[in-house]
Amino acid sequence: MDAKDILGLPKNAVPIPQEKKPRPPKEPQRKPDGISRELYMLTGGVAPVMPSIDVSQLKKRPPSDEKVTWQWLPFSNSARKDNLQLYHWVRVVNGVPPTGDYPFAKYNKSVELVKYTDEEYEKYLTDPKWTKEETDQLFDLCERFDLRFIVIADRFPSSRTVEELKDRYYSVSRAILIARAPSPADVSGHPLVKDPYNAQQEVERKRAFSMFLSQTKQQERKDAEVLAEAKRITELRLLAKGADESELPVASDVSHDNIGRSIIPADAVSPTNVQATSATIASPTLVVENAYAPASLRMLRVYSRTFGLEQMVQAVSSSAGLRTIKRIEQTLQDLGVNLKPKVPTKAVCAEHLELRKEILTLLNLQKQLQYKDAEGSSYRDGSYTDMPGTPKRAHRAGEQDHAFIPECLSFGGERVGKRDQKRKGPGRVAETPGASYTLSTNDWGQLKIYYC
Amino acid sequence: MYGGDEVSAIVIDLGSHTCKAGYAGEDAPKAVFPSVVGSIDQMEVDDPDNLERNSGSVPESNSTVRTSESEKAKGKRKLYVGSQALGYRRDHMEVLSPFMDGVVADWDIVDTIWDHAFRECLLINPKEHPMLVAEPSSNSQQQRERAAELMFEKYEVPALFLAKNAVLTSFASGRATSLVVDSGGGSTTVAPVHDGCVLQKGVLSSPVGGEFLTDCLMKSLESKGITIKPRYSFKRKEIRPGEFQTIDLDFPNTTESYKLYCQRVIASDIKDCVCRAPDTLYDESAYSNIPMTPYELPDGQTIEIGADRFKIPDVLFNPSLAQTIPGMEGFVEIAPSLRGLPQMVLESINKCDVDIRRELFSSILLAGGTASMQQLKERLEKDLVEESPQAARVKVLASGNATERRFSVWIGGSILASLGSFQQMWFSKSEYEEHGAPYIQRKCP
Repeated sequence: MDAKDILGLPKNAVPIPQEKKPRPPKEPQRKPDGISRELYMLTGGVAPVMPSIDVSQLKKRPPSDEKVTWQWLPFSNSARKDNLQLYHWVRVVNGVPPTGDYPFAKYNKSVELVKYTDEEYEKYLTDPKWTKEETDQLFDLCERFDLRFIVIADRFPSSRTVEELKDRYYSVSRAILIARAPSPADVSGHPLVKDPYNAQQEVERKRAFSMFLSQTKQQERKDAEVLAEAKRITELRLLAKGADESELPVASDVSHDNIGRSIIPADAVSPTNVQATSATIASPTLVVENAYAPASLRMLRVYSRTFGLEQMVQAVSSSAGLRTIKRIEQTLQDLGVNLKPKVPTKAVCAEHLELRKEILTLLNLQKQLQYKDAEGSSYRDGSYTDMPGTPKRAHRAGEQDHAFIPECLSFGGERVGKRDQKRKGPGRVAETPGASYTLSTNDWGQLKIYYC
Repeated sequence: MYGGDEVSAIVIDLGSHTCKAGYAGEDAPKAVFPSVVGSIDQMEVDDPDNLERNSGSVPESNSTVRTSESEKAKGKRKLYVGSQALGYRRDHMEVLSPFMDGVVADWDIVDTIWDHAFRECLLINPKEHPMLVAEPSSNSQQQRERAAELMFEKYEVPALFLAKNAVLTSFASGRATSLVVDSGGGSTTVAPVHDGCVLQKGVLSSPVGGEFLTDCLMKSLESKGITIKPRYSFKRKEIRPGEFQTIDLDFPNTTESYKLYCQRVIASDIKDCVCRAPDTLYDESAYSNIPMTPYELPDGQTIEIGADRFKIPDVLFNPSLAQTIPGMEGFVEIAPSLRGLPQMVLESINKCDVDIRRELFSSILLAGGTASMQQLKERLEKDLVEESPQAARVKVLASGNATERRFSVWIGGSILASLGSFQQMWFSKSEYEEHGAPYIQRKCP
């Protein structure tokens, strides 16, 4: 079939219905008796060439010449210390009950505990925090509960923590082992001697774990937010590092890395600290992009304003592509503004940034205008087919639209300071000088593209 | 069964609402009857109705022996056990429960109940069968010794084992470690089980159970002017084909407790049919406009139940809600200390060792009659997910089958008693005679 596809030949539809017909009559013939259908299908659904299994023999049982009865007989269990005799059903063959121990007795396993005598206790095992009775009780419980320390701690008469109990048990066992060994080398391979139980570490681990587990959902969310902030700040830092090779970014990176590292461990103290600082640095709103640049700048104690401006410019233009940045710079040059202000005071830099932002906005809006225009023209082409005058108009409008833009720019320099280069009502049309774009409101009722 | 060995043990679980008894190895108890008794003080009644006594099981050849045994007045009172015995109204019959505040107070009643279960329901001779008895998760040493004494002295069982309810529920779902939320008739208990043993320090109990909810429902209906007539107090006569007329009967000698018992039976049926756990905390205003569900009472009256459908189950989650029901003022004193179900679960888990908390969170088991309420599992899971830490994955498990939820303790006992490796753990009669009753503490952890 693939070959036919490649060659481009038409597929034959004729044989297909014929193929379907012989299939149903074949199916009922295939399944033999004696085994289930699913089982037979496992062999591929096809009878083997040489019949390897005689299907009719599968259900037969081997002929037994023994007499099997089931009797309700008592049994004894070697795992029990008393002689309780319970009854159960037993398969009796030819009148002979089965011999041997109760088959489940072998599951009666218990833990091998080290037992100490009183003298050994006096010699090696005394401890100021533990009395002999308590130690005895502990060992008794350990034996009964098979070293399940959580249960032992639950049942222990006086309240001791799990770590204390484990510590006492393991240290006692270790001491006994070492004391009883003929020489220290013999038991040095024993796990108890090799890796002694470290109660302090356990306590620390549990404390950290419990703090980790006791974080509520709000805290989790805040932590996640803080981590996201930190990530963004690191990225900005990388940009700053690439832009300027002074040692200041290095220092800031180092300081930032410290902060990053302190965020990561799940310690309750530092997240709140970082939270506080991040709150002072920036509100976690994503809209204000300028927040990131000041954040990273504030890390540095001292910086040159040019460098700072660079950062901010990059922050502003981070959302735009390279081409847009070029256009901004082109626009700036057309306006007669330097790409870098000559006298970089704070006010001048602020104004420069504002200008850049507004140019960016202008460019975005122009792009949108073009899109809308294109849409509008395609719409008009579709609906106004009976008006031969329209395409010419559209054409003219398009031209005039294009004509708008450079004219706007030519006098834009005076009005850059104002921030109203957005679509406005008809009032705006009257204010601006120039008359080449007045037709926008009148000619087409549908599209109101006016640009000031 | 690979690990199984049937020794025909009997599993008996005396709960605060129903008693369940049956053979180990089966998947449901054979005998299920209310764990209250009707008691008539012998001194007042002449007792002519010897023969028409109770349970209605097939009379055996030794029926004379049987009747004389149950005829024996226990401290000059006659006790009637079983749903059939209780269903028949008798003059001056008081309804008594062996439990007081969740603990067994009256061992005579327990004795009668066990006797009824063995001889009349299961038809066995206790001397031949080892007994597995389920006990509350926070049972005291004294109670256990008393139970052992009763079993060995009176019934002469060959072997006994006392297992805690929470452990049995855990085994019924195949887990050795879990947090068991047992919401039964008399109380709700939350108990953590680790490696087959209950952690006593984490066991929490609250008196808000199925019977409490039934009482709330009854009071709520009464405040709306609906009286539930007990079944004995009316008779329905067919005056025309398909139409019935209710005639009130009057029995002045009926005790208050019996009347209350009969009303409770009806109210709990309403609760079973109609109540559902709400998805969020109950809010009066939100539920004021929901459509009402009709329910037909036995006397033919049809009542409409609206907001109560959701209000009553929410008492489990928010016990202070019961105070808004008129007539439940007696509850006010204990209310402030009570916590809702999710809070109890969290408190219980936090009392346990840190290492096992995660495992407990991910295996929370629901058991008990009240746990079969619709939507209870989803609501509990939702509440817990909100309050629990992110790191813990909360999972509430309940078997889908309502029968299994109700009898999960019994089923766990059935599984345990029929295991081959359990046969070494019985507390046998010879051990009892040798060491005495306190030895049970060692044998049954």
